[in-house]
Amino acid sequence: MTANGRAMIHLEGVTKVFYTDEVETHALATIQLEIKKGEYVSIAGPSGCGKSTLLSLLGLLDSPTDGKYWLDGKQVADLSLSDRARIRNLQIGFIFQSFNLIGDLTVFENVELPLTYRGMKAADRRQRANDALERVGMAHRARHLPSQLSGGQQQRVAVARAVAGSPLILLADEPTGNLDSKSGEAVMELLRELHRGGATLCMVTHDPRYARHADRTIHLFDGRIVEESAATAAS
Amino acid sequence: MDAILQDLRYGLRMLLKNPGFAAVAVLALALGIGANTAIFSVVNAVLLRPLPFPDPDRLTMVVSVNPAKGFPKFPASPPDFIDWRAQSRVFEEMAAVDGAPYNLSEGTEPERLNGSRVSASFLGVVGVKPVLGRDFLPEEDREGAEPVVLIGHGLWTRRFGSDPGIVGRTIALNGKRRTVVGVLPQGYTFPNRSEVWTPIAFDHDELSGRGAHYLHVFARLKPGTTLEAAQVEMDTIAERLRKQYPDSNTGWGTLVSPLSEMMVGKIRPALMVLLGAVCFVLLIACANVANLLLARATERQKEVAIRLALGAGRLRLVRQLLTESAILGLLGGLGGLVLALWGTDLLVAAGGDNLPRFREVSVDGRVLLFTLGLSLVTGLFFGVVPALQASRPDLNETLKEGGRGGTSGPGRHRLRSALAIGEIALALVLLVGAGLMFRSFQRLLSVDPGFRPDHLLTLDVALPETKYPDGARQTVFLRQALERLGALPGVVSAAAATTVPLAGGVISYSFSIDGQPEQPPSNRSSARYDAVGGDFFRAMGIGILRGRGLLDSDVAGGPRVAVISSGMAHKYFPGENPIGRLIRIDNDHERAPREIVGIVADVKHSSLDGEAAPHVYEPLAQAPSTWLTFVLRATVEPMSLATAARQAVLAIDREQPVSEMKTGEALVSDSVTQPRLAMILLSVFAAVALLLAAVGTYGVVAYSVSQRTHEFGVRMALGAGRREVLGLVVRQGLVLAAAGVVLGLLVAAGATRLLAGLLFGISPTDPITYGLVAVILTFVALLACVVPARRATLVDPMTALRCE
Ligand SMILES: Nc1ncnc2c1ncn2[C@@H]1O[C@H](COP(=O)(O)OP(=O)(O)OP(=O)(O)O)[C@@H](O)[C@H]1O
Ligand SMILES: [Mg+2]
Repeated sequence: MTANGRAMIHLEGVTKVFYTDEVETHALATIQLEIKKGEYVSIAGPSGCGKSTLLSLLGLLDSPTDGKYWLDGKQVADLSLSDRARIRNLQIGFIFQSFNLIGDLTVFENVELPLTYRGMKAADRRQRANDALERVGMAHRARHLPSQLSGGQQQRVAVARAVAGSPLILLADEPTGNLDSKSGEAVMELLRELHRGGATLCMVTHDPRYARHADRTIHLFDGRIVEESAATAAS
Repeated sequence: MDAILQDLRYGLRMLLKNPGFAAVAVLALALGIGANTAIFSVVNAVLLRPLPFPDPDRLTMVVSVNPAKGFPKFPASPPDFIDWRAQSRVFEEMAAVDGAPYNLSEGTEPERLNGSRVSASFLGVVGVKPVLGRDFLPEEDREGAEPVVLIGHGLWTRRFGSDPGIVGRTIALNGKRRTVVGVLPQGYTFPNRSEVWTPIAFDHDELSGRGAHYLHVFARLKPGTTLEAAQVEMDTIAERLRKQYPDSNTGWGTLVSPLSEMMVGKIRPALMVLLGAVCFVLLIACANVANLLLARATERQKEVAIRLALGAGRLRLVRQLLTESAILGLLGGLGGLVLALWGTDLLVAAGGDNLPRFREVSVDGRVLLFTLGLSLVTGLFFGVVPALQASRPDLNETLKEGGRGGTSGPGRHRLRSALAIGEIALALVLLVGAGLMFRSFQRLLSVDPGFRPDHLLTLDVALPETKYPDGARQTVFLRQALERLGALPGVVSAAAATTVPLAGGVISYSFSIDGQPEQPPSNRSSARYDAVGGDFFRAMGIGILRGRGLLDSDVAGGPRVAVISSGMAHKYFPGENPIGRLIRIDNDHERAPREIVGIVADVKHSSLDGEAAPHVYEPLAQAPSTWLTFVLRATVEPMSLATAARQAVLAIDREQPVSEMKTGEALVSDSVTQPRLAMILLSVFAAVALLLAAVGTYGVVAYSVSQRTHEFGVRMALGAGRREVLGLVVRQGLVLAAAGVVLGLLVAAGATRLLAGLLFGISPTDPITYGLVAVILTFVALLACVVPARRATLVDPMTALRCE
C-alpha cells in the first residue's frame, strides 16, 4: 500500500495510546483515512471519542503511537521536532475552538506570526497578512488587540492567521464551539468560501447543521472510525 | 490579640505549606539583614557607641596646625603645651601624652610593653580611676620626682598573678626601678594600647624646644563649654604665642577637635560606603522576596477571592498577608543575626589590630534592636505591595481574559519586571563599586614602595636609657647586634634604622642648606629623617642613585655625612649637584653641618598611596639612638629567623627584649588593611547582590514562562521551533538585563562619586570597570534565563492547548 498520489493526507493503521499514571488510554485505534486535495471533511462523534486527538495527529502536534502517515506524499510520522515545526508552519493552518490569539499582539501581528517563523521579508509578510485579513473582513481592525474584539471577530482573525501562509490543509477543531449561533454561522460561511476557493479542510464539529456542508463526514466512536457518510447537501 | 494569634498561626501554616518558597525568601532576607547587621555592628562600635569614658562628649584633642607647611594635624611641643595649659580657661584638665615603649625585665623573659608617658592629670582627663591603688599625684610629673608607674589590668594578671600586693612594689622598666602606685581597670589600654603609664616630666632641653612637636594633647572641656568657645580661646592663645615666639611659632595655630573624631574620622567614609552597600543588598533581597510574594499572590487569588466572598474586610486580609511577610522578615532576621555573629568575628580578626576601635565590635543590645527593627520594616516593605495586590483580585479582568481565550504576556508582569530591573541595577552599582575598589587596590599594591619587601625581617629594640645612657654605649650595642645578626645563617646583610618604611613611625626635622638663604627655625623646610646603621640601603633594597651610601667608616668623631633622597635632591637642589653640599639638621643644638655624600631612591615611608616625601639619612654612629629597628635581608623565609634573631639580641643583653617582629611583606600588607578590608567587604556584598539579582531574574523569567505556557503552545502549533521559543525567553531576559544595566550605570555614575575619596589611581567613572561589569551582569542575567528557556522549549503544544 503506497500513498495515493492525489491524497493530501493518508493515514494507515494509526493508533494513539496515552500513558498517564499507569493508566493506558487508547484514544485512537487503527485509523485508516484518506483526504484528497480540495476536499472538505468533517469529523463527528461523542465527547472523548478521539476527535481532537486525530486532528492533532493530522496537524503534527503529536505523533502516532503506531501506524503510518503520509502528508502530501511524504512520510511524516517519525520526523524530528524541528522538522514537524517546519511542516506545521508551512503546510498546516490551525483554527481552534478557543481562538488562541496571543493577547499581547495586535490582530495584524497575530496574523503575521506564522509568516515570521518562515523568515519571510517584512514587505511580503505585510502583503500576505493584509490579504488574509481582507479575506475575513477584519482588515479595519488590524491595529486592535484581541481583547477588544468579539468572539466571532476573534475567530475570523484566527482563520485569517490559519490561511495567511497558504497551507496545504486547514484543520479546525470545533471552530464555532465558543460562539453564538450567528457568529458561528458567519465563521462557517467563511470556511465554506475558503473551500470553494480550493482549500482542503478538515473540521471537527458536534453540530450536524455544519457537518452537512462537508463533502464527507467521518464518525468516530471510542477511537475508531465507525462510519463514513457522504454529505447529504454538498455545496 | 486573638485575631493576631490566629493570623500568626495561619501565616506559619501557609509558609510550611510551601517550604521551598519560604526557604528561598528567608535565605535572601538572611543575607540582606546579615550583611546589614554585621556592618551596623561595626558602625555602632566605631562611630556610634560613645568612647568608653565618662562624659565622652567633653573629651577633645588639641593639636598644632600649620597649613602653610602642610600639617593639618600635628603634635604639640612641650613649651606650647605648658603655655596652653597655663593660659586656657575652657578646659577642666589638659594632659600631654608621649608614646613610650618599656622593657620589663622581671623574672625570666624580658618583655617589651606598649606604654605612655602622661601628665599626672591624664587619668583625670579621660575620667578613669585605678581599680587598685591610686592615680598619679600632681607633683609626680615634675623633674626629680619619685619614679612611679601605673600598670594595666592585663599586665597585672599576666605577669603578677593579680597579686593585690603589687601596689607599693617596684618593677624594673627600661632598667630603672619604678614603684607601682596603681592598677587600671580591666580592658583599659588607652592610649597606644598601653600596659604601663609613667608620669611625663620635661627637662630643661625639652622645655626650650618649641620646634619639637611630639606631644599628643588631650583635654576635657568644662561642663557647658562648647567646642567653638574652646577653639576661639585656643586661637587667641596661639596668636599670642606667634607674637611672643616668632622664630618657632610663626605659621602655627591650634585646632580643638572631639576625641572620637580624631580616633575614627579617617575610617568614617569607608564605613559609610559599606553601609550604603549593605543597604543595596537588602533592597535587592526585598525586591526578590516581593517578587516571590507577587507570584504567590497570583496563585492564591482563588483563596483570597473566597475569603473576600466570605466577608473578610480588605484590611483584615492585608493584615493577614502582612503577618506572613512579617514572619518571613523575622525568620530572615534570625538567620541574618547568625550570619552577622559569624561575620563580625571575621571582621574583628581582619581589622582588629590595624583599625581604630575594631576590638570593640560586638553584637550588643543596640545591634539586636537594629536587627529586629530592620526585620520588621523589611517584612512590611517587601510585603505591602504584594498584599495590596493580592487583596484586590480583579476578577472581572481575569474572567474576561479567560473568556476571550487570550494569553497573558509580559504586560501583566510589569511590576515584577520592574522589581527585577531594580535588582539588576542595584547589583550593577555594587559590582561597579567593588570593581573600582578592586582595581584601585591592585594599583595600590603595584606601587613601588622604594624598597624590596620580600625576604626582609624587621624587629624593634628599644634600649633603656638607664642602661645605655650615652651614644658610645648605644653604638657599642648597635655594632655588636649588627655583627651577631649579620652572622646568622640565612642572613645576607643586617642593618638598623630609627624607623623603617610603612611601620607607622615617622620622624621629621627642619633643616637648612648652606649656601641657601638662612631662615628662622619656624620657616625652615622639613624632611623625613632617619639615622641608619650597617648596610641599610643594601639590606632594604633601596637603590643608591648617585655618590655613596653610609658606611661603617662613617664613625663618631669622623666627618659628618648625610644621604638624601632623590625627591629631596630635586626639590631643594633643582638643577644642581647636591653631592658635597652641606646640610644642617635641627636634631641637635649644634646644628653641625653634614656633607651630602649620596642620593638614594625615594621610599614611600608613611603610606603606599601618599607621595614619597623628601628624606634625609645620617649614620647612627654619628647620631646614636635608643630606638632601633633592625632589618635583616635573608635568603630564607624571613620569619624562620625570628627565634635566632631574638637570641642574638639576648646574647648581648639578657634583659633586652625585641618586639614587632614583622616581615617586609607584612609591613606592606598591614599598611593597606583598611582599603583591603573595604575592597573585600564590598566584593562580598557585590557577589551576594549578583547572586540575589540572578535569582530574582530567574524568578521573574521562570514565572513568566510558566504563565506563558499556553502562548508558547499556540506559537509552536503555528510552527515556532526551538530557536524561536528560546529567543522569546532570552529576549525577555535581555530586556530586563538591558534596562537594569542602563539604569544601574546611570546610578553608578552618580553613586561612585562618593567612593572617590577611597580610590587610588583610578577614576570613579573608569570606563573599563563599567564596561566589564555591564558585560558580566548581562551574562549572568542570560544565564538565569537558561533554565526557564529550556523549560519553555519543552512545552508540549498539545498539552498547553488542552489545558486552558
Ligand atoms: N494528553 C493526554 N493524556 C492522556 N489522555 C488523553 C490525552 N489527550 C487525550 N486523552 C484522552 O484521549 C481520549 C480522546 O480525547 P480527545 O480530546 O481526542 O476527545 P474529543 O473527541 O476531542 O472530545 P471532545 O468532544 O470532548 O473534545 C479521551 O479519553 C482523553 O481523556
Ligand atoms: Mg476535542
